[in-house]
Amino acid sequence: MKPEDLLRHPLPTQTPKLTLGCPILDRFLGGGIPCDTITEIFAESGTGKTQLSLQLLLAAQLPISRGGLSASSLYLHSEFPFPSRRLHQLSFYRPHLPQNPLDRIFVEPLHSTDHLLDVLPRLDFLVPKLNIKLIVIDSIAALFRGEYENTPLELKRRSGVFFKISSKLKFLAREFGLAVVLTNQVVDVMGSSNNLRIGNSMSLCSSGRTVCAALGLSWANCVNMRLFMWREEEKVGMSEEERLGEGDGSFQRLQTRRFIRVVFAPHLPDSSCEFVIRREGILGVS
Amino acid sequence: MEVSSLPISASHRGKLISAGYSSLSSLSSVSPSKLAQDLKISENEVLEILKVVSARKWVDKIENRSHAIMNGAQTAWDILHEEESSICITTSCSDLDEILGGGIRCKEVTEIGGVPGIGKTQLGIQLAVNVQIPADYGGLGGKAIYIDTEGSFMVERASQIAEACAEDMLEYNSLLRKDSQACRVDKPPKAFMDNIFYFRICTYTEQIAVVNYLEKFINEHKDIKIVIIDSITFHFRQEFEDMALRTRLLSGMALKLMKLAKKFNLAVVLLNQVTTKYNEGSFQLTLALGDSWAHASTNRIILYWNGNERYAYIDKSPSMRSASAPYAVTSRGIRNSASNCKRVKLM
Repeated sequence: MKPEDLLRHPLPTQTPKLTLGCPILDRFLGGGIPCDTITEIFAESGTGKTQLSLQLLLAAQLPISRGGLSASSLYLHSEFPFPSRRLHQLSFYRPHLPQNPLDRIFVEPLHSTDHLLDVLPRLDFLVPKLNIKLIVIDSIAALFRGEYENTPLELKRRSGVFFKISSKLKFLAREFGLAVVLTNQVVDVMGSSNNLRIGNSMSLCSSGRTVCAALGLSWANCVNMRLFMWREEEKVGMSEEERLGEGDGSFQRLQTRRFIRVVFAPHLPDSSCEFVIRREGILGVS
Repeated sequence: MEVSSLPISASHRGKLISAGYSSLSSLSSVSPSKLAQDLKISENEVLEILKVVSARKWVDKIENRSHAIMNGAQTAWDILHEEESSICITTSCSDLDEILGGGIRCKEVTEIGGVPGIGKTQLGIQLAVNVQIPADYGGLGGKAIYIDTEGSFMVERASQIAEACAEDMLEYNSLLRKDSQACRVDKPPKAFMDNIFYFRICTYTEQIAVVNYLEKFINEHKDIKIVIIDSITFHFRQEFEDMALRTRLLSGMALKLMKLAKKFNLAVVLLNQVTTKYNEGSFQLTLALGDSWAHASTNRIILYWNGNERYAYIDKSPSMRSASAPYAVTSRGIRNSASNCKRVKLM
């Protein structure tokens, strides 16, 4: 390996992208999830992170003409159990997939950060052998949140591990042109005064709580692009029949609206998009 | 300068020339005793001659301003003169240019740091494009090296910024020069992209190797006027067991970059991350890599959020005073903050 080999000249005109399987969401992300970089999606539980991950695992198998990578995908999960039924269901509803799509999704459970650090070096030969073009880690936060204490020394050690993992993932991404998607959890923000601002928005709200991404500032340095998904409960006016039937509304129907927003990305402006989760997957609402 | 023009006696002059000492430079390294032998004169006479020679050389130096006491040395006057005539690389945000004294300077190492999403990479890409603005438009007409250690460089974004830059040049052209002949596209956006030499780095070993290789590369590719490293930090924040080794590697790299900046008259821009520092019972934000690294760069600029606006603050500079200015990241690249324009108008 010589330093001149690291030069990429002339530059390609486009970064390859992985479709999300929905034209509205693809347009929102400028074509999809970019390869060669790390994309993080953070959201509170029940917003749709895992749904989106599963959809991406299938989308990677689509032919390149349909926005896929025509390759296999790897799903590393630290949140249990693995939602195999939902994946199976989705595979029926997603169009244009090749035969037996589940055969090309490799799944490995993760139990600790050390386990992840053991898995990553093995990928050097597994990724080309299995033709993997997408790695999803769901979720990165679950690995770290139990393991480290809240002392300066432990936190320093933790951020060292962040950079190690991120650098290895970025290496794989460059070497094999992978798309890497990580999911992250949220933490509540207490006291808004001396709150460190990362990204486009002063404060992010989900279900009426002010939240920010878990794992702090040093982890934020480890991802190239950060997306935030949130939900809002909205009271819906009762329908005509209900009102006539029972009189005073002791019941109020709540409807959940879901949104996705670019917190930071090198190629995307601050914008957001509403989406819904249906049987056939996640769909953007224009 | 010839010996024949020296104010010495004619016989000495003749002896010098016949002994083969025809130029002043041939006299500069010879020892008095050797010269006395060669010319067959007394050492006192030789010392007289050498005194005249060195006085003469001194006058030459002051007149020409090109030679120096030592090779490569310059007087402060020379340096000031050079600095005043040098062209800065604009950031495309006039408020930011103003506090920087015109933009990013050549021959200097400028470090820019801030939280994720503040616009470090955006500024890096903007500079890689702006360095290419031709001399007719007040630019340097140079090329850029972009060393990407984080994988955040997006070609789509770079060509978007290049397109906006080309449009701005066209507009400038049509405003300034009314003749239709000059109103042509000098530089298609594609040409901007071709003049960015992009290195993708995945380990700190690769990073050091590329920095060492730069001198050879710049020698082979003329007109490189900016080297951007985005970011200098990333691979040095992994578990380094030997922190002293890290400091040595970093300061070695900083010295090399400083030398490149001087030698090839180019700007070096290092993007840095921020970290929290535990200080007297509270956590504060500082640029990463520690105190010894703080010496590595000539200028330090910190990018931060102020309310809903992005600001840049000069933290360290030998020539500019501490000041801050708002800027905005728009679809066309780095520009003046919109709300600031309104404020100026109100006053």
